[in-house]
Amino acid sequence: MSMLNKKKILYIDDEKINVQLFQINFSRNFEVFIGCSGKDGLLLLDNNLDIEVVVSDMKMPEMNGLEFIELAKEKYPDKRYYMLTGFDITDEIQDALNNKLILNCLKKPFNLKEIEKILNE
Amino acid sequence: MKSLKFEYKLSLLYLLLGGLWIVFSDKVVNSISNDIDFLTEIQMYKGWFYVIVTTILFFLFTRNHLTKLRDTESELEHHKNHLEQMIHEKTIDLASKNEELFRKNEIINQKNSELQNTLIRLQDTQGHLLQSEKMASLGVLTAGVAHELNNPLNYIMGAYVGLHRHYEDKTFSEHDEQVGILIDALKVGVERSVSIVDGLNQFTRNSNSYNEDCKLHDIINNSINILQNQLSDNIIIDKQYADYDLIIKGNVGNLHQVFVNILNNSIQAISNSGTITIKTSPYDDHVCIEITDTGEGIEAEHLAKVADPFFTTKEPGKGTGLGLAITYNIIKKHNGTLEFQSEYGKGTSTKITLPI
Repeated sequence: MSMLNKKKILYIDDEKINVQLFQINFSRNFEVFIGCSGKDGLLLLDNNLDIEVVVSDMKMPEMNGLEFIELAKEKYPDKRYYMLTGFDITDEIQDALNNKLILNCLKKPFNLKEIEKILNE
Repeated sequence: MKSLKFEYKLSLLYLLLGGLWIVFSDKVVNSISNDIDFLTEIQMYKGWFYVIVTTILFFLFTRNHLTKLRDTESELEHHKNHLEQMIHEKTIDLASKNEELFRKNEIINQKNSELQNTLIRLQDTQGHLLQSEKMASLGVLTAGVAHELNNPLNYIMGAYVGLHRHYEDKTFSEHDEQVGILIDALKVGVERSVSIVDGLNQFTRNSNSYNEDCKLHDIINNSINILQNQLSDNIIIDKQYADYDLIIKGNVGNLHQVFVNILNNSIQAISNSGTITIKTSPYDDHVCIEITDTGEGIEAEHLAKVADPFFTTKEPGKGTGLGLAITYNIIKKHNGTLEFQSEYGKGTSTKITLPI
């Protein structure tokens, strides 16, 4: 698969190790963009309009994952948004699932094959 | 004196009667006759008469007197007997009173030992209560801590996936930089997991010693870690720690409970966003820890009651009402002090002092 054919995905997490691992592991089948905050994410989306899938951690300082996705979706409603969290599905995440703000809530520790399958849908 | 008087009386009477008899009887007899034989005969009768009369009188006097004496004596005897009887009765009475007292004493002793047992049971129950509250707050926290473990587990999982792929593809040497990152992630993941589990262990450890070295900054940091899940992203923790380690003698597990309780209250008091400031300061003989939040504060009428057992304004399931009561007890056991200052709508400040 050449670089050009790979699906572009964006991953946002405030923990550096998590974004590094995500990039290393998902780069084989995706072109991965990474950022450490919602602000980074919005900027990356503006500069890379062909990003198809956005995955975000939930717990982040200043702007949490849902707040980031809400802002992103307002601007780019056609992209697919996912949450990746180590915590339970809280009420606000459930609301986001119900409102189709996010398509799925993925669990940490991540299951590579499962996530690749979902992202490829 | 009386008996002496009686002797005089008797003797004098005898003397008088005798004298009078001798003087007058002779005169009377002499006036009646001059016949010597007749006079001699009369003298004999006179003598007999005298003896008989005085004997009768003597008998009467003596009897009278002796009767009195005997009466007194018998009365005395009677009194004596009565007294003995009384003493006997009183002795029996006293013995029974004594027995009663003894019995009462036994009852008191029994009650005393019952009280002692109750006290021991009470202390035991208090210990259990302390443990239960710890477990109750732990229940709230465990969910958070369990999820907190998912983060370092994610590092380990991610590192495993990456390393496994390089192993299968035999591409270690081509991607040595990447392999380095993966191995580091593995290490950080394990270290973080260990520190989370350590934190929980510190909180739940069950030691009764108050002579452990307590590094306050470590304990506070660990308490914050335990509460990580409760901490929303909108709460800023501002640590204004003293420059060096503050170490006091105390009970590490119980002090964790103190800070978890107070910090948890601060977190729950902040509804949207706010700041929790933790300031530690050393003094000559004690340390001071001030935890100030910008939460909703405590109403003035509630402020005095916050450390009362079972007092809570939290919704059912959010608090046992025992947190601060137990916190207060723990601080007291450390010979420290606990003070609250609060302004409703502005926030609460908790000040703890602990002797060094």
